[in-house]
Amino acid sequence: MMGPLRSTRKTDSPRLSLSRVFLGVWSRAGAAFALLKKFLLLDLLEGLRVTFKAQHPSKIYTEQYPAERPAVAERYRGAPRLNNHPETNQTLCIACDLCAIACPENLIVVGSVRNPATRRKELTTFTYDLSRCMFCGLCEDACPVDALELTQDFELASYTREGLIWDRQMLEEGPRPVRYSS
Amino acid sequence: MSEVPTAHTPKVHAHAPAEMAVETWESALTGRLAARFGGGISRFGSYLGQPFLEARADLTLDVLRFLRDEEAFDFLVDLTAVDRPGHAERFELVYILYSFASNERIRVKTRVGDGVAAPSVTGVYPAADWLEREVFDMFGIGFAGHPKLRRILLPDDWSGHPLRRETSILAMDQDWVRRNLGIESGQ
Amino acid sequence: MSATFLDTNELELNMGPQHPSTHGVLRVILKLDGEKVLGTECVIGHLHRGVEKIAEARTYQQFAPYVDRMDYISAVSNGLGYCLAVEKLLNVTATPRARAVRVILTELNRIASHLFWLGTHALDIGATTPLFYCLREREEVLKIFENYCGARLTTHAFRIGGLQYELYAGFEDQVRAFCGSFPGRVDEYEELLTHNRIWTSRLRGVGILNAEECKRFGVTGPVLRAAGVAWDLRKAQPYSGYEQYEFHVPTGEAGDTYDRYLVRVREMRESVRIIEQALAMLPSGPVMAKVPKVIKPAPGEVYVSIEAPKGELGYYVVSDGGKNPYRVRVRPPSFLNLQALDTMCRGALVADVVAIIGTIDMVMGEVDR
Repeated sequence: MMGPLRSTRKTDSPRLSLSRVFLGVWSRAGAAFALLKKFLLLDLLEGLRVTFKAQHPSKIYTEQYPAERPAVAERYRGAPRLNNHPETNQTLCIACDLCAIACPENLIVVGSVRNPATRRKELTTFTYDLSRCMFCGLCEDACPVDALELTQDFELASYTREGLIWDRQMLEEGPRPVRYSS
Repeated sequence: MSEVPTAHTPKVHAHAPAEMAVETWESALTGRLAARFGGGISRFGSYLGQPFLEARADLTLDVLRFLRDEEAFDFLVDLTAVDRPGHAERFELVYILYSFASNERIRVKTRVGDGVAAPSVTGVYPAADWLEREVFDMFGIGFAGHPKLRRILLPDDWSGHPLRRETSILAMDQDWVRRNLGIESGQ
Repeated sequence: MSATFLDTNELELNMGPQHPSTHGVLRVILKLDGEKVLGTECVIGHLHRGVEKIAEARTYQQFAPYVDRMDYISAVSNGLGYCLAVEKLLNVTATPRARAVRVILTELNRIASHLFWLGTHALDIGATTPLFYCLREREEVLKIFENYCGARLTTHAFRIGGLQYELYAGFEDQVRAFCGSFPGRVDEYEELLTHNRIWTSRLRGVGILNAEECKRFGVTGPVLRAAGVAWDLRKAQPYSGYEQYEFHVPTGEAGDTYDRYLVRVREMRESVRIIEQALAMLPSGPVMAKVPKVIKPAPGEVYVSIEAPKGELGYYVVSDGGKNPYRVRVRPPSFLNLQALDTMCRGALVADVVAIIGTIDMVMGEVDR
């Protein structure tokens, strides 16, 4: 196997040389070295160097949300949206009900009427219960016409449970969260 | 705001599953088991390359002890149950064993009826302690000789066993919820 | 006649369910003699959601997002185990490209899981700093997940038969950059902890579980390996193409909390090696095998298990030929590992219980399901 477990460091980086120098000098007096190492707090100083290295302002990693809104990924699965055709502004949804069938939580209800002239189903209502949604993306995968889509909006909080049940209008317009930044 | 969507009542098959296409499992191990237990083991089968055997419930302990001591199946991977309500003995207990020595995994299956306690295997595999408690909790199968057979995932005074087939997914001990949580429903 | 207040009585102490070091909602009843632990009893189930029951009322595809919510720290591994089990039931194999991508994402997830464990474990012991560094690196992994499948935690990354999404442009560069910088970061964690006298004195000799006890209690994963058993399902029963990659299975000797720390740290380094190999030989081709739209496996049952970050994660799936699984049983590694808590805690001090709970690395979402 891999030999006894001591440190699992792959390389001895030059940054670690402080204790290595002492090791070289004191190699014939291991016990004395251990005592000195303990006395000089070398083990703790090694760690402290890592801590101080991370103090530089260029190393700041924290996102300043909500002052700065993070850019989420293109494929992010956030608030659902019902897309309209960009030119005609008519809904793309063909009321096929595939999203409602695909949904594990049964939270999509599609209402439609059959147009006697064209003999096609036309969308009337669309209800999406966000309070039970787990954003698995199965509904948008099922949609054959890219009408239903999970978007990059992620601020979905609501003061009421009813506020999380989105109707067709809400789904087409998208959420309007309070913005604390431009 | 629009109306609350109605939840569909999920369809749960109440019937027992159809039989699977089992191949016969024959090896040196099955020969030794057959010689030792004879008719006590009713079937040696294999499905998709995964071997299993079906043993009489009263022989469970002997079969498992034999497998552990003589055949080096020293690791109980999992213990679970499957409810098949159509059968006379409706519960199928499944013991999944592993042998570090031969890198093999086998399943031992036994059947018990409703209200009949199966022998506890905690004496053979201590790992079965919590696993048997979970089976008791979820299916209501008793285990004779278990040191502390109590519910493990659900509260002690809960009623009902959720993983029985006839239990609806929406069923819940509403009395317990009202009594302990002070809300009308947990749904 | 002696004063009654000098009597040393056994004391029962509740730790949790709202204790910060119990990593979720675990309640441990401690039986104490002063500071010494005489025995423990776990009260679990606070997070029980009936995942196995939910499976009975879902189709095979619909159940896949639920498995992410068991061990939510390593959702990708859960998804892989479930997809492999159903694929086995269907007698389908994912395409070579899908298998390689699965390995990359699963190993990234193992790193993320171990990082989260290391950070919180160190925090429990009293070392606050590593948490921030660990979460910083974990964030890089989560960004890769977000870019790939649109979610950071409950990823739903895999589908039965392969992958839903093709890799995004820049995936390979991002993963390579992470693999390049990460080993240096692990060096930093080790500078902080490995030789730190507080760390070693809190961890050495604490919570010893030897190989024999591990096997008796069904303990798998890093806890078993730290006891000296070089057993890893990726080596013992390779799946998803792990047999193509060269990596070591780190083991410990003492089986104590310190060895478990070293095993997990070394596993992170090995994961980087696997990812680099998988990237180097990433095949092209489709990412989805031919799988029917409505999945109805022939009646039968399979048990398929993978090496999740916590140990052996198994799925026992029974089909009756219908659209919904007849039964899905999950063999959660955390559940069985937690069972050994009592053995590990006996004779330890109260403060060690915190270290021992941390070293098991359980996620209560998986214990309670």
